[in-house]
Amino acid sequence: MRTPRVLAVAVPVAALLAACGGGDTTGGDGDVVELRYAFWGSDDRAQMTQEMIDAFEAENPDIRVEIDYADFGAYFDKLATSVAAGDAPDIMTMGGAYHSEYAGRGALLDLGEVDDIIRTDDIGDDILAHGTIDGSLYAIPTGVNGYAMVANPAVFAAAGLELPDDTTWTWDDFAQLCTQIGTALGEEGYGAQDLTNHNTLALWARQHGEQLYTEDGELGLSAGTLTEWWEFSLELRDSGCTPPATRTEELASQSAPEQTLIGTNTGGMALVWSNVLEALSTASGEELRLLIPPGVEGGEPGSWLGPSMYYTISARTEHPEEAARLVDFMLNEPAAAESFLTDRGLPVNTEVRDAIVPQLTPVQQAEAEYLDRLQEVVGEPVPPAPVGSTETAGIVTRLNSEVLFDRMTPGGAAEQALAEIGTALDR
Amino acid sequence: MTTVPTFSRGRAPGEPPPQAAPDPPAPRRNRRSPLAKREGRVAYLFLAPWFIGMVVITIGPILGSLYLSFTEYSLLQPPEWLGLDNYRRMLDDERLHTALRVTFTYVFVSVPLQLALALALAFFLDRGVRGLALYRSIYYLPSLLGGSVAIAILWRQIFGTEGLINQLLGMVGIEGEGWVSHPDHALSTLIVLNVWTFGAPMVIFLAGLRQIPTMYYEAAEVDGAGGFTKFWRITIPLLTPIIFFNLVLQIIGSFQTFTQAFIVSGGTGGPADSTLFYTLYTYQRGFGSFEMGYASALAWVLLVIIAGFTAVNFLAAKRWVHYGD
Repeated sequence: MRTPRVLAVAVPVAALLAACGGGDTTGGDGDVVELRYAFWGSDDRAQMTQEMIDAFEAENPDIRVEIDYADFGAYFDKLATSVAAGDAPDIMTMGGAYHSEYAGRGALLDLGEVDDIIRTDDIGDDILAHGTIDGSLYAIPTGVNGYAMVANPAVFAAAGLELPDDTTWTWDDFAQLCTQIGTALGEEGYGAQDLTNHNTLALWARQHGEQLYTEDGELGLSAGTLTEWWEFSLELRDSGCTPPATRTEELASQSAPEQTLIGTNTGGMALVWSNVLEALSTASGEELRLLIPPGVEGGEPGSWLGPSMYYTISARTEHPEEAARLVDFMLNEPAAAESFLTDRGLPVNTEVRDAIVPQLTPVQQAEAEYLDRLQEVVGEPVPPAPVGSTETAGIVTRLNSEVLFDRMTPGGAAEQALAEIGTALDR
Repeated sequence: MTTVPTFSRGRAPGEPPPQAAPDPPAPRRNRRSPLAKREGRVAYLFLAPWFIGMVVITIGPILGSLYLSFTEYSLLQPPEWLGLDNYRRMLDDERLHTALRVTFTYVFVSVPLQLALALALAFFLDRGVRGLALYRSIYYLPSLLGGSVAIAILWRQIFGTEGLINQLLGMVGIEGEGWVSHPDHALSTLIVLNVWTFGAPMVIFLAGLRQIPTMYYEAAEVDGAGGFTKFWRITIPLLTPIIFFNLVLQIIGSFQTFTQAFIVSGGTGGPADSTLFYTLYTYQRGFGSFEMGYASALAWVLLVIIAGFTAVNFLAAKRWVHYGD
């Protein structure tokens, strides 16, 4: 046979190479702009988001939105990689201090450039401040959250105790209650889940007239204050309020609500963000309550209203105006809020919030009521988390283990934590 | 691995071992015929997809990471040249030193244990157990599953505070702690997990054992050698190439352990950095802290460490590995 064998190979090879080339996704016909919107979360959240997008596309036939989501653990890895590859989603959800990291590195669009499209009049200035970095607005909170002590009334009842008055209680009151619950439950449970994390430290710092990060993005927490916290948490461990170190470690390495002490009705209290109330309630089946966190005798209340997540737009998007239209829709249209309800925190637009309150479930309403109560006692707004601060959470968790396993003293751990956080902020 | 010792000697005693005599010097090659040339070209064409894949997907990024290891690269901004700073930083990086300590402990403890267990079971199975194929499959199974996420999660449950191990201990009146969540024990549970995946080296040992001509044992028996002597004087020496192969492979694999540590500790390397494997730390720096330049440098140091161990292995092999002759 004289068929050129070269051809027989060349064709499949060419086909393979062509397949590697990837498709062109912009699709020129009809002037429809395609946007990609990235967020983290469960399939439920994806479904809500798709509903919102259907509503958006109905009103904006010239825009098509593709959703791009992953679970929380993988989301930021995936995002960093795609941004590095020059393939950033047009609209990106951020959380914690990530918007600072991205904005500080020039990856986010200055939303001042599209402020004629995104309406922010109905959003409080202290909320917007969280997304303002070096004087420019880069990120807009999706909703508000408050740090809270969640309490399980069933566990309190089993220990023969009443819920405390959360407008006046102090850490001493907390320790006493917690130990009583732990003692009463014996083998069956604990007074509270270990409280230490970077959010608790931010609260503790504010109650002691300090702050975790200053307005200039520096560390504002002193070694003395941090040492006191760890001494306190050792007392809680030893008095039977919180579980032994190995149990705490297990609880810390898994975030599913079904496996927390609250979710399994084996713990009386835990410090959480208010928007997890629904997931915890579903897991425990009890009517959980949100309490304002304990304070320091004669100190500041320390609480603040924080953003749950942020909407940001990529600095490299080809369609900043269309992306801004989607962000505006999600922030300000009741239609969007009806899809999301409180899933991305209680809406920041006060009018939108009022519009959806009647549609909320009893648990979501309890959450909204808590935020209203918290609003009364919040102190100064917390400055936005600085670049490098995404590492703080890991540093605090690790050194907390060192303290709880008695491998480091509270003082030694405090010194090291501050040194490590400082290094991460300077880098 | 191109250095797999191939055993060409079967159990047929009469067959001359092809490896025994060195090849006679090859005669000078004739000029290749046009047909051979054409076939060569076609062969390269067929190989092209794999060559292209290797260059684009493997070698390219490897060289890219070498460049990045000399830069500060946040993933979000273009890399900036740093020279040797990333490598200098390693000298003072205490968490890196922890990671090295953890990884070396893991490799030095789990690899010998795993190989010893694999050899012991292979030896046992080789002595004519009924249903060998079944046992072989059962023991091999963990090797297929060992690196998976599901097994890592299962491990966390088994060694948890209320896990299987503590329930068993409870029956005999011992109150155990959470094994994976205690800094003194967490690494041990991962070592056990690695040892448990002894099936792959076992199957290779088994194949090696089958290659040993029975006549050696028969001859030894005639001379009055006991079981231990036969094992020590015949089995082990003839098996050294296989032991060597398994050793090299397992050391390389163990240095690269990632999944188990990532899942069991939830990505933190905890409790208190007791399972902070080198690869996990590299991952944390690269993706957690946006320090892809430093992470690239770490990856290259790991490459050098593994290459060093492999080289030492090959040098030492000259002294203890016997390629039968």
